[in-house]
Amino acid sequence: SSHEHKLNFRKSKEACLSYIQDALLQKQWKRAAEFLTCYVESLEKDYSREHIGPSEMIWRVGTEILWHHPQSSMKEFNCFMEQMKTLGVKRYLKVCLEHVFHLLCNGQIDEAYQNLSLAESWRFGEQTAIQDKEMKLIEAYRGLLDYYSWSKQKNILLENSEDGFSDLAVEQEMHGYFRKAAVNLKEIIKIPGVWDVFVKCYVDLLEFYGDHNEARQVLNEYAYNSKFPANPNAHVYLYQFLKRQGESKKSLISALKILHDIVPSHELMIDFNTMLQKSKKRKKRRLGLEVIFAALDYAGWKENAKAWSCLARQVKQIVISEKHLDWIKQEWNSRKDWWPAFHFSRYLAKRNWQENKSLSYEKALVAGILLGKGCKYFKYVSRQGCKAQLKRFRMLKRFVNRHNPVYLRISG
Amino acid sequence: MEFPAALFPSYFGAGPPREEGGPAPVAGWGEHGQVLEGGPGRRQAQPAFVPRRGATGERWEAADAAAVPVLLPSAGSWIPSPAPQDILYRSGLCKKLRAGKSGATLDFARQLGHFFVDHPEDAFGSLGQLLHKNFHLGNSKLKRPARNSTIRMTALVEDIDRLEARRGCPRQHLASRLRWFSHLCRDWLFEVPLGLLADCLHEELMQQWSNLLFDDSLTGGALAWLPPEDGGTPVGRLVHPGGQAMNHLYFQDVVLEELPRARGSPAQFELSGRVRQVAAARVDGEDFVGVRSDYHCGVWRVPGRTGAAPSPLQVIRTDVPASCLTVSPHLPGELSVCTQSGTVYLWSVGTGLQQLRHDPQTMFFRDHSPWRWSDFTAHPRVLSCADRTGLQCLDARAPKKCHFDLFKVGEEAGCQQGERVVLPMYLGRAHPSQYLVTTQFSVYVLDERLPLVPVLKWAHMMKAPPLFAHLMPGNSGRSHQVLLGASRTQELLLLQYRGGSQSACQLAGTPQKLHSIAGCLQHLPTQLPHRQHLLQQRLGAPAAGLAATLQEDGPQKSMLVFQLSEAGDVFCQRLTHKAAQPPAPPSRDEATTAPGSSPLFEAPASSPQGLGAAALRYRRWLRALSRVCREPSRHTWHPSLSQRRLFTRRDLEGPAGPSSLQRQMRQRLRQAMQEGGRIQRWEPSAIQPPPLPQTLEPAEGPDPLSARLTAAWAGDWEQWWEERTSFSVAQRQRALRERRRRQKRARGCRSLSASFTSSLTYQSELSELSDAGPPLLSPGRPPVLSQEGSPPAGSPAVGSPPASPAPDEALLSSQSLRCRGIPKERRKTLRDYLSVWAEGPPEPPEPPGSQASQLCIPSSQSQVSSASQPRRKRPRMGF
Repeated sequence: SSHEHKLNFRKSKEACLSYIQDALLQKQWKRAAEFLTCYVESLEKDYSREHIGPSEMIWRVGTEILWHHPQSSMKEFNCFMEQMKTLGVKRYLKVCLEHVFHLLCNGQIDEAYQNLSLAESWRFGEQTAIQDKEMKLIEAYRGLLDYYSWSKQKNILLENSEDGFSDLAVEQEMHGYFRKAAVNLKEIIKIPGVWDVFVKCYVDLLEFYGDHNEARQVLNEYAYNSKFPANPNAHVYLYQFLKRQGESKKSLISALKILHDIVPSHELMIDFNTMLQKSKKRKKRRLGLEVIFAALDYAGWKENAKAWSCLARQVKQIVISEKHLDWIKQEWNSRKDWWPAFHFSRYLAKRNWQENKSLSYEKALVAGILLGKGCKYFKYVSRQGCKAQLKRFRMLKRFVNRHNPVYLRISG
Repeated sequence: MEFPAALFPSYFGAGPPREEGGPAPVAGWGEHGQVLEGGPGRRQAQPAFVPRRGATGERWEAADAAAVPVLLPSAGSWIPSPAPQDILYRSGLCKKLRAGKSGATLDFARQLGHFFVDHPEDAFGSLGQLLHKNFHLGNSKLKRPARNSTIRMTALVEDIDRLEARRGCPRQHLASRLRWFSHLCRDWLFEVPLGLLADCLHEELMQQWSNLLFDDSLTGGALAWLPPEDGGTPVGRLVHPGGQAMNHLYFQDVVLEELPRARGSPAQFELSGRVRQVAAARVDGEDFVGVRSDYHCGVWRVPGRTGAAPSPLQVIRTDVPASCLTVSPHLPGELSVCTQSGTVYLWSVGTGLQQLRHDPQTMFFRDHSPWRWSDFTAHPRVLSCADRTGLQCLDARAPKKCHFDLFKVGEEAGCQQGERVVLPMYLGRAHPSQYLVTTQFSVYVLDERLPLVPVLKWAHMMKAPPLFAHLMPGNSGRSHQVLLGASRTQELLLLQYRGGSQSACQLAGTPQKLHSIAGCLQHLPTQLPHRQHLLQQRLGAPAAGLAATLQEDGPQKSMLVFQLSEAGDVFCQRLTHKAAQPPAPPSRDEATTAPGSSPLFEAPASSPQGLGAAALRYRRWLRALSRVCREPSRHTWHPSLSQRRLFTRRDLEGPAGPSSLQRQMRQRLRQAMQEGGRIQRWEPSAIQPPPLPQTLEPAEGPDPLSARLTAAWAGDWEQWWEERTSFSVAQRQRALRERRRRQKRARGCRSLSASFTSSLTYQSELSELSDAGPPLLSPGRPPVLSQEGSPPAGSPAVGSPPASPAPDEALLSSQSLRCRGIPKERRKTLRDYLSVWAEGPPEPPEPPGSQASQLCIPSSQSQVSSASQPRRKRPRMGF
């Protein structure tokens, strides 16, 4: 019967857990809390070898309840977390980290810092791979908080220096924060991952102290190391850094070219296109056309007036100069079977005209050149524009009519 | 298309998943995951952090206590799909064994038995016919000469019965006789070699069982909501399958009111297969609806204005079952199709199919599942394609060269061991580059600009894998609502997330469970046990689809969630939006439950306080359901013969040959049919009809007017008058009686055709006579006679007018004959014969078209034609 007893105990444990789950999913925090007090008993005979044991369940459920329970306070939450830390050795770091997160989200930065320091000094036998990762994160977050302290001191110092006096103690303290932050931040960004915040802070530190080479190296590593995920932000940070450093157009363009290759729909593509259009080299202008065409392939750019005006400007330039019409032709070739339905349908003409006149102007120009004056989009918009007696639409119509042969050359 | 300036920190590993896993009941609670500095800039004294999970979300509260039916149950009873108990081995012993070991025991023998019983022709056809003389099915002893070549089956059958009774007994021994018999005939008795048949059956059983465990053919769901046009009337359209085999597609107008209400009758299309998936997308103000069944996919166009009829555009047929159909949100009339052979097509209505990929192997590691999926991405020419191991994006213009990995089940996304992709979905309406991927453990949000690294991950804790998902984008910075739905358990979960362009993606609020269809059961009035069981079965049917819509009615925002069940029922629930109030007052549900109470102790009847209009809706639905369940549809109901009755002992104990009387009767019947005549009396002695009971009323001669005119014409009018006034009544009666007897004698043998014409004239006479006055009835005549004898032709006084359509008429109607499977050429003969036999008026020629006669077949008559009926097939799986 001891077996039976065990079985019954397990059954009631499961039932209790399902009530808790039910209550949580219906946001009945009080009810869940009451069930949880019963569920604590399950800790007594914890024979389970399941993926998530009762102690972890109590931590998770208890945390969730304390987040939402109308009568819970931060003090109670801290108390609960301390208890949970002692409940499982394997989970200690994880619980610490989550505790810190909650403190940070509630603006208790100092308490969070204390907790991080405590967790950092925790040692228990050999660490597993997961614990190792968690420890690294704890150190990194502490580094981040050190960085914020540093930046606070820096601001004070800057304000003071504006006022004309310097404070050595503050400066010392600031340097201390820098060292602490730099050591920890440097560690985590070596490991493959998404470390946007940490990289940004570390680079900021390095730049402040004038270590531009190290900063460049860090950013290059973050952007180009193949073990790291293809994070567009890594390229953006590098580009911004290069821009800050006043690097040549060439290196800026090469940085953006790589960003274009991995994310053709990135918002920096407008800057890239403008940069390329201004270039003297034919090849670059050609790339610019490619970039703006590629960006407009994406659904997210469909109604981006800026992008359409970039394309319209460049297409207009090409048509007027009558040079490089083959560029347009080549770009258009892979798009002519679907752009008309995607961008230049009559429905869109109507809607764009109603919602954004300047967008419809730019699009009509492009449509008129690419699809000829018979195109539905162009016809609708130019007619509406003429009806509304808008001068630039009349000019648009004249322009497209004059350059209609271009359409034949592009589509032919 | 902005990209967040900073993302939440995360590790990035490569390779197979390292974390050991399994279903974890509470894995999704209590974690912030990571934090990121966000909110107002760094100028402030202290940085402000936001969590990846745990930020406040919108508050949605259920308006009613349960989901409410939107449509009345469709006619035609629903045939539930096989349940585990149908194909699992049932016995106490096995249950015990199973408790110890995992894994189920399939009842192979029972299914094979079903096959033999249901398809004897296919199983034993030719040898059965050859050998049937050598099998004896009676109880009697076999005689000497027969014994050498005949087996008495009765004993064998008894043995089998005994074996059946001892089923599951560990000490069962085969009766030696059975063993001997099976040893003897195993190799030659079966039409299909037994080994082959068993292999096929076993394969099918395994297939059914794996479908029961997880049926991925429903992925995506078969319910779509076509929202009303912006600013138009609040009338949307629900596209859902229905009918007994779920092979009808309905486009139903639904008015969005407090409770959504069906308006008008739906546009209906009959398809040639069970509808597995209905997908819809709106392009340029028109809705495109893709419908997938196993071997066919079709696309319909529904114009945006309300009331416009949907028009079918194109249908394709596949050799291998299709597993996915999605509709492009970018270009009109473009869809993507996947088949289980691992082929992905881009299907555009104008230009046809373009094969993008063909690979029977899975992408990242080996997995046995043939399931494939495909969807669109932010680039109209780039399609994602998925299998259980992950997702890849292909450029349709150069599918072999241009592709990248979007999601991998592995360390990259922090997956668990054994995790598999269940449903990918493009979240374009929320953010052009976002993607949702659900697995059996977690739900991921991906950004195609940062492939392989999920921007959100959360353990959803659902009991069954989420096969359905629905997105409701929150415009202008509000959080997006994602609904996840499971099939078998009917779970519905509402999640909220925000971000993706200016800020990093965050889960907002806590997940919320919505009402399932079966959840209303506790609120319904108590039913009779069998009705309750039916209701339970109906409401507990696995979910088959999910759709939802947001409705803004001034300041009041609400969400309508539709859920489709496999039985074809569509239920709906309304959630109302509550303005965020930081110290949240206890929700209604919590307030109604006393502290310490659990759902177990709630009185089920006390809860439906919110059921006002809903209760009415329920009552109507229940009434309709009971109507549907009570009368089996005429077309599906066939008279059936119990097989057991074929061989009752009493039947077999009777005299072996037909008795002389029977032989005589048969001969007469045959003769009558040959001659086209009819049988008047069944008794052999009734060659001469028995004398009719005396009619009491005096028979009348020709009517007085014509008699007088005849007499006048002949010139002896005076004599007529004389007779009329002076002729003794007694004398006249005698003469009449004499004439009558003559008439009867002459009626002895009349041909069938004669009776036909006579009955026709009788009819016309009757209608003429009806002016003269009501024909007299014969009170003394027993009514039985009207079936045995024929009416005296030309004497209107005897027969009774056909007052109402007799039951025989229903029997004879071409409709009923057809539905009994009687071939057309024989219908006329049978009708003729029966009409004479039953003395009804002849059937008018077969009605043009199909005027369904709504008369029921009386049960007494159904026996007559049951012999010519195909036996009703037992609902059973496998074949």
